[in-house]
Amino acid sequence: MTRRRYFSDDENVNVERLNSLSIDALYALSEKMALDLPPDLEKVFIVEALFEAFEEDNEDRKSAGDAAVHIEEKKYSGSELDEIDASIDAAPCIVCRYNETIVHVIARDPAWAFVFWDLRDEELDELRASDSFSHLFLRVIKEPGYDGKSTASFEVVVGEEDDHWYLHLPEEDRSYRVDLYAKTGTKSRLLAHSPVIRTPRALMADSLADLDPGAAELAALSGLAILEIVQAPMRHPSRILGGFDE
Amino acid sequence: MDSGLVALVLNSHLPFVRQPDYPRFLEERWLFESLSETYLPLLRVFARLESDKVPWKLTLALSPTLEAMFGDALLRSRYTAWLKMQLELAEKEMVRCAGDPDFAPLATMYYNLYLKDSEDFTMLYSGNLLGALDFYYKKGRIDLMTSGATNAFMPIYRNYQAATTAQVEAAVVSFRAAFGRSPSGFWMPQLGWYPGIEETLSAYGLQYSVVSTRGALLGDPTPRYGSYAPVSCPNGFTTFIRDIASTNDVWSETSGYPADPAYRDFYRDIGFDLPLDYVGPYIEQNQIRTFTGFKYWSITGGNDQKAPYSPELAAARVEEHASRFLQARAAQAKAASVHMNGRPPLMVAPYDAELFGHGWFEGPGWLETVFRKAQATEDLRFVTLSEYRRSYPDNFESVPEYSSWGDGGYGGIWLEKSNDWVYRHVFKLIERMIELAERFPNESGLRERVLNQAAREVMLAQASDWPFLLRAGKSGSFARKQIEDAVTNFNRIYEMLCANTVGTEWLTKLEKRNNIFPSINYRVFRHKR
Repeated sequence: MTRRRYFSDDENVNVERLNSLSIDALYALSEKMALDLPPDLEKVFIVEALFEAFEEDNEDRKSAGDAAVHIEEKKYSGSELDEIDASIDAAPCIVCRYNETIVHVIARDPAWAFVFWDLRDEELDELRASDSFSHLFLRVIKEPGYDGKSTASFEVVVGEEDDHWYLHLPEEDRSYRVDLYAKTGTKSRLLAHSPVIRTPRALMADSLADLDPGAAELAALSGLAILEIVQAPMRHPSRILGGFDE
Repeated sequence: MDSGLVALVLNSHLPFVRQPDYPRFLEERWLFESLSETYLPLLRVFARLESDKVPWKLTLALSPTLEAMFGDALLRSRYTAWLKMQLELAEKEMVRCAGDPDFAPLATMYYNLYLKDSEDFTMLYSGNLLGALDFYYKKGRIDLMTSGATNAFMPIYRNYQAATTAQVEAAVVSFRAAFGRSPSGFWMPQLGWYPGIEETLSAYGLQYSVVSTRGALLGDPTPRYGSYAPVSCPNGFTTFIRDIASTNDVWSETSGYPADPAYRDFYRDIGFDLPLDYVGPYIEQNQIRTFTGFKYWSITGGNDQKAPYSPELAAARVEEHASRFLQARAAQAKAASVHMNGRPPLMVAPYDAELFGHGWFEGPGWLETVFRKAQATEDLRFVTLSEYRRSYPDNFESVPEYSSWGDGGYGGIWLEKSNDWVYRHVFKLIERMIELAERFPNESGLRERVLNQAAREVMLAQASDWPFLLRAGKSGSFARKQIEDAVTNFNRIYEMLCANTVGTEWLTKLEKRNNIFPSINYRVFRHKR
C-alpha cells in the first residue's frame, strides 16, 4: 500500500504545500499536469515547475473562462456590488455540521474529488481520551469490490479540526471509495465509509487510429483540437520544460 | 436531400426568485428584464416570422422554475408595475435627451420598447406567456423541452437516485400542468450529464436530451458521426450533441458576434452613470445602483472610449452576422456530409435564451434574420430535436461521459472552494427527506402538506444557481440566503415531524411563499425498491 498525501483544490496551490509532498507524489502530479519532467530532478525544480503550471492553469481559466458561464452571469447582474444584504432580513444562521460520523465524496472532474466528513463529538472525545490515538486519516480505495477490498489504496492524514479536502485522484475512469479511519496505536479503526464514486474519463475511449477514417474525420470536425481529449504524446507542448539541466 | 440540418435550442431558465414578503425585490428584476428584453421580443420575432410564412423552427427548454414564475399571478402583477416604472423613466429620459442627435432617438426607442412590452403583455397575451409559447408548440414551430425541477446540477447528486428522480418527476408534472401533455425532451441543467441518468429519464417517458461535445466524444464507444448526429443509449434514450463551431460563433466572448463593437454595450447603464437623485426612484431603495435597462453606448472600446449606440449600424452587423452564421453552417455541413454515409449532418446549437435580447440586445433580430435568410438557401434546413428524432430514430449506440458546459467541462463551476460547503447541507436534507418519506409513506391532510413542503425545500436547496452565484461573487449573499432559508425551513419541518407537532400558521405562510410545484408528491423520495 502506498502512502500518499495530496492537497486541496488547485486554485490554492502554493510552494509551501507542494514542498510538503513526497518526490513520488510530485512526479505523479506532474504527470497529471502533462509536464514532461526529466527523471531524478531535484525537488526544488519539480515544485517550481508544478507551481508555474498551476499558475498558468489558473490564469487560463480566469482569462478564457467559459462562454456559457459568462453569459449566465449577465442575466444575474443586478447591482454593482453584492449589496442585496441591505434589502433582506438577515439569513437564519444554519448549523455548520450535524454532529454525525460520516464521510462523503463527490467527483469533480477526472483528477479531483471533494471529500467532506464529520465525526460525532462523543466519538472524537472518546478517541482523544485514548492514549493510543494518534490521528485521523482518509483511506482512498481504488476499484473497491463488493467486499470492500481493493488492490490499491492510499492514505491522507487529516487534522482533527479538518472537515473537508480536495483529493487528487491518481486515475481517470476509475471507481473510488473514501473511508474515514482513526489510527490508534498500530491499529486502524474504521469510522465511516463513503459511497463509491467514479472519476470521468479525460481522454477518448478509443484512439483515433482505431476509428474508421470517416469517424476520425468527423471527430476532428466536431472540435477535438479545442477539447484536448485525444491521447497524444505531447498534449501541452508549451509545458515541455527543457531548462533544468542548465 | 438536405445537405445540412440546424437545430437551434434555447435554454430558458431563471431560478425561483419570487419574494412575496417584500414589496420590491432586486432579484425579481432578473425575471422582469428577461421578459422585456428576451421573451416578449422573441415572441414578436415569432409572430413576424409566422405572419410572413417563414419556415422557422427551434427548440426551447423551459425550466420549471421559470415556467412557474411565468404563470405566477403575483409576479405578473409586479411585472406590470415594473413596466409602468420603466415607462415613467423612459418619459423622463426623452425629456433629458431632447435635442441630442445621438441619445434622443435612443430614449424614444426605449419608450417604444417598454410601451410595446406593456401592450403585448397585458392586452395581446393577457399576462399568459405560457399560452403564447403553447400556441407555437402546438403549431410545431417550437419544440418545448422541460428541465431539472430547480436546475440542479445532476452529476453531483448521482448517488442519491431519489433526489435526481425528484428533479425529473416534478419537472414532468409541472410541464403537464402547464401544457396539457407530457414532455419528450429533457434539458440537463448546465448540460450536466452522467452515465445512468438515462434510465431515470426514460422511466418518465422522456426520449432525448442534449450533451456537451466533450461528454459525447468521451462516450464509450466514440460516436461514429462525431457531433453531427445524436447517439442512443442502450435503453434507446437519445442524446443530441452540442456543435462547438456554432456555439463559438455566437458565444465566444472575444470572437462571437455579440462582441462586435457596433452592438449595444451591456454594462454602461444610466443606473450607474447618472446622479442618484435622478435614477433613485428606479433603482433599489433609491440608492443601490442597478441596471435600469437604459443603455446608450455601443461596445466599441473601454468605458471612456465608447461611441453612442447606433441602431442602424448594429442592424447592418446583424445582417452580416446572420449571413456568416448560415455560410459557416453550410460549409460545415458540406465538409461533414462526405463522411455521413448519406445521412445529413445535424448541427445542434444550444444557447442561453437570455443571451438573445438581454445579454445581446440585437440577438432577437439576429435570430429573425437567420431564419429569413435561410429561406434563400437550399443548403440548410432548421429542425426541432423531436422532429429530427422522428425522422432518424436509429442512431449509433454510445453512452456519453459525465460532463457539463461549464469551464473545464465537468463540475468545477458548481463544486469549488466558494460553494463546496453547500453540499454538506443539501446531502443531509436529501438523506433526511428520504428518511421522512420512508417513515411516513401514506400520509394525508396536514402531514402530507408538511411533507410536500419539505420536498419543495430540498429541491430549492439543490438549485445549481446558488453555487454558481457564490462562485461568481454576484448576488452571493442572496444565493447564500436562499440555501440557508431552504435548509432552515426543511430542518424545522423535520424537527416538527420528529416531535409530532406542526405549526399550521407557519406552514401556510411558507407554502404561500415557496408556492412552486403545487402537485409535488413527497413520496418520490422513497427508495426505489
